[in-house]
Amino acid sequence: MRTLFAFMKKECMEIARTGKLTVLVLLFALFGVMNPALAKLTPWMMEMLSGSLAESGLTVTNVQVDAMTSWTQFFKNIPLALIAFTLLSSDSFTREYRSGTLLLALTKGLARYKVVLAKAVLLLSLWTLGWGLCFSITYGYTAYFWDNGIADHLFLAAAMWWLFGVWVIGLLVLFSSLLQNNTAVTLCTGGAVSLAYLLRVIPRAKAYSPALLMNADPLLSGAEEAVAYRAAALVAAVSALMFIILSVMNMNKRQV
Amino acid sequence: MEVLTIQGLKKDFGGKEVLRGLDLSVPEHSIFGFIGRNGAGKTTAMKAVLGLLRPDGGTIRIMGEKVRFGQTRTNRHVGYLPDVPEFYPYMTALEYLRFCGEIGGMAKADISARSKELLDLVGLGQERRRIKGFSRGMKQRLGIAQALLARPKLLICDEPTSALDPVGRKEILDVLLAAKEQTTILFSTHILSDVERICTEAAFLSDGRIAMHGTIPELRSMRPSDGFIVETERKEDAASLTKAFGELRPGEDNTLTFHGGRERFFAVMGYVAENRIPIQRIERIEPTLESLFLEVTK
Repeated sequence: MRTLFAFMKKECMEIARTGKLTVLVLLFALFGVMNPALAKLTPWMMEMLSGSLAESGLTVTNVQVDAMTSWTQFFKNIPLALIAFTLLSSDSFTREYRSGTLLLALTKGLARYKVVLAKAVLLLSLWTLGWGLCFSITYGYTAYFWDNGIADHLFLAAAMWWLFGVWVIGLLVLFSSLLQNNTAVTLCTGGAVSLAYLLRVIPRAKAYSPALLMNADPLLSGAEEAVAYRAAALVAAVSALMFIILSVMNMNKRQV
Repeated sequence: MEVLTIQGLKKDFGGKEVLRGLDLSVPEHSIFGFIGRNGAGKTTAMKAVLGLLRPDGGTIRIMGEKVRFGQTRTNRHVGYLPDVPEFYPYMTALEYLRFCGEIGGMAKADISARSKELLDLVGLGQERRRIKGFSRGMKQRLGIAQALLARPKLLICDEPTSALDPVGRKEILDVLLAAKEQTTILFSTHILSDVERICTEAAFLSDGRIAMHGTIPELRSMRPSDGFIVETERKEDAASLTKAFGELRPGEDNTLTFHGGRERFFAVMGYVAENRIPIQRIERIEPTLESLFLEVTK
């Protein structure tokens, strides 16, 4: 356990000293501020655009914004934040293979599964921190300007996106254990997410696809019930765990 | 006692056999030179010893314990220095050694004391910069410090001097000589003067197997002499000797180099005596590992 913590401590030092943590915190905080800010600015923007819209035959009447507008922005922006997070994290393993730093760590007797575990735990913690920051800032500002109470299942809907992020991290770790460079890791992770997204067009598979978790905002308006996401959430959680186990198996077979 | 024993080690990459039944044993407290041309399989053999590569055949034992691919248990006996060691550039040397001690399971108090002791040994005791500002020589010295940290029974150095300038090379060889008291060193290289300087034993790797193995004096004695240098007083005598004996090759001034058998050398000496040729000097050319290596691997 001590060696696992030592490797995790190294990972924390790495993200702090290479500036990755600062970039991620700023990024998620920016998205968190943008969600209510865009909602708040919507009437003003519509008013500014009303002239050009009128020329196109569109009339802008009194635009009403509320907490739902802010949360709609949250669900539009969190995918972008997850993409940025994935891009920033895609070289977590491959940088170590490329530079040879992992080789020395392994010759010290560090068990390979601890490398996978430490990196997976750190990525999960970072994603949780970023997602939590974005959600908290959006929640705080939205509560300040409007009433969060009008959004149903708010925490559950946001948690679906968190779980989807966990599933993506599982994929990222799996492909990192198999592949040599971060471009290939990013492309394969993106490919797997696209495949899950395509599964949604098959009616019988839709309910089980982790990509369904990306579409959790109907929970806010009550258009969907929480139970509709149960199977997809279960599949995402179990498969993310499987991905980590497979990553450990791959890592044990990897010739360094 | 043997620290490392390799029996019948085989490894191929995509059909190309790099190791074809390598047998090697490294006795305790030796500095063992593992010599081979570039691409001969030295690094492959070392990575197999560290459990980083899966052998296609054979067994490896460190301190009697079998090495298993993918498992790192036997690495507690081993320190490893690659040819170009890479570290986390955002750490200082002391932080890196602490990290190595922690992942190696060393006691906290021991890590601190040992790190400072080793940084002083390699001349980095006062260095406060992060590793990204280190020169190649400094990284190599830090590499030795990390490899010696856990007081390994076996220190594996993979061409530690090949990327260094003469000053850097001397520094590394001096540190390895100092480390000899504490550990057994397996030292791969293709720089034979380094082997002659510090090693007690050596083995030549050729064609995926050990072609020759022994102590440095034993290896030298396998090739009695590489010839003689004969220097005459007069230029015309040197010319007449070269004309009479094809084995004599002219060098600078009146110097001739003889490469040939013992009987032919006696014939040269007879000719010298018979013709009363004044001789300045006759010197035996000492056999070198380099000439032996070239003969073994040609």
